[in-house]
Amino acid sequence: MAAKIRGVLVDLSGTIHVENTVIRGSIQALQSLRETGVSVRFVTNTTKESKETLLRRLTGIGFDIKAEEVFTSLTAARRLVDQRNLRPMLLLQPDAIEDFKGVDVDNPNAVVVGLAPDCFNYELLNKAFRLLLEGCPLIAIHKVRYYKRGDGLALGPGPFVTALEFASDVRAEVVGKPQPSFFKQALYEMGCDAQSAVMIGDDARDDVGGAEAIGIKGFLVQTGKYRDGDEHRLANPPFAVCKDFSAAVDQILTML
Amino acid sequence: MAATGEETDGRPSWLVRKIRGLLLDISGVLYNGSEGGGEVIPGSVEAVEKLKAAGYKVQFCTNEDQCTREQLVHKLARFGFKLLPTELHAPSPVARKLLQERNLRPLLLMHPGGLAEFEGMDFLNPNCVVIGGAEDQFTYERMNKAFRLLLNSDNPVLLATGCGRYYRSGSNLLLDGGPYTKALEFACDVKAEIVGKPAATFFLAALEGIHVSPEDAVMIGDDIVSDVGGAQACGIRGVQVRTGKFRPEDENHPTVKPDGYVDNLAQAVDLILKYN
Ligand SMILES: [Mg+2]
Ligand SMILES: [Mg+2]
Repeated sequence: MAAKIRGVLVDLSGTIHVENTVIRGSIQALQSLRETGVSVRFVTNTTKESKETLLRRLTGIGFDIKAEEVFTSLTAARRLVDQRNLRPMLLLQPDAIEDFKGVDVDNPNAVVVGLAPDCFNYELLNKAFRLLLEGCPLIAIHKVRYYKRGDGLALGPGPFVTALEFASDVRAEVVGKPQPSFFKQALYEMGCDAQSAVMIGDDARDDVGGAEAIGIKGFLVQTGKYRDGDEHRLANPPFAVCKDFSAAVDQILTML
Repeated sequence: MAATGEETDGRPSWLVRKIRGLLLDISGVLYNGSEGGGEVIPGSVEAVEKLKAAGYKVQFCTNEDQCTREQLVHKLARFGFKLLPTELHAPSPVARKLLQERNLRPLLLMHPGGLAEFEGMDFLNPNCVVIGGAEDQFTYERMNKAFRLLLNSDNPVLLATGCGRYYRSGSNLLLDGGPYTKALEFACDVKAEIVGKPAATFFLAALEGIHVSPEDAVMIGDDIVSDVGGAQACGIRGVQVRTGKFRPEDENHPTVKPDGYVDNLAQAVDLILKYN
């Protein structure tokens, strides 16, 4: 028998908004979800901007979302750094560095890499590489291959993390989606087990595949980066494929 | 018959079978590079001369792509080495030949010092990427250009002069082209064709030039993977020197086990002259 749904994980970009545009019906759908009393957490791989900037963007376009509900791979990395008392060299864009405020970065003993075009130059990568050779851990916020920017596709952090891994023979610890630890941490914060949780997202591999790998039911939405047939490229079909976030919520309301 | 164990007469196991020819790496074996030009590794000049005087066939197998062969010969002459450009086996000339055979127009992600090896080629509307030890040329924007070219190409071709991870320059270790090659491979789901070491074709072509077969040859280098592992993969004995980029951890390398270690080229040559 299917377990009752007690927790809902929601991706942000491409699922409820694209930049400063709300995906139609998402504000109302989120409201309906909240009224049922189910726990909601937002899980995102955003690494270009800090949580504060992201939150300002979301509330600015009309979403009712609180800081403690947003779980970003940046904050997960920050937690990891705190837990292990690391002093990281941060390969991050200036805005993302906000999330590491107060962290000691002198005399670094770890390397943290996010989407940071300004940092992916020869000098800084050499510096990071030498730290890794000395035995420092390599923490990747995520390993996305490329992303879309104004003038077309551009390299993401994944290729540069791969370069550092190859150069130093150190395997990166990947923090964000689709890592099981990332989803587990979000579940833990909701006090919810995987069987009673769903994940809604537009990335078949990182959102849906990642969540389902640890037993969370995956809802793939056909918005954002979704391309025709994405669900068939997964090893196992997703629990559900929905037109958009609001359709996903309608289906979830019947499972509570 | 000669004894086989090191224990009995000091003969290293890599000299049990007679050698006729040698492939020698250059950087980290003959000299250590640095921004100011570098310095000779003590004993190496004499070692090369002794080898040649004893009649050994020697080919210098380098992945050097930051200068031309002629410039390298001049640079080595300043340290006292008397080499000819024909004794050098380097990847850029091999890459150039490949490009011409396949009618390809390259986008060169190379060090400015080595571009002359590609002089006169057609660079308009590039349809493939050649990547080497480009150092400062590895900017985000240039990497992006290469990435887009490969991503938009029906039959993406990525040639790499080598797959070295890093090299020593003065007191610093610097990223080589290998990590950047891996970055582009990962980003575009392509597989690079390695032109220089550790490609088997590169070692075998060098041996062909001196008419020595792999089982009669030894490769001496400071790179555990590219020099030693590459040579061993095509049946050439691989010996690592404890100079250049050598690090003590190399002696516990998970996949490559050299046929032997020597402190430097001078020691290798002394052993060869004594036991071969
Ligand atoms: Mg998304
Ligand atoms: Mg070398």
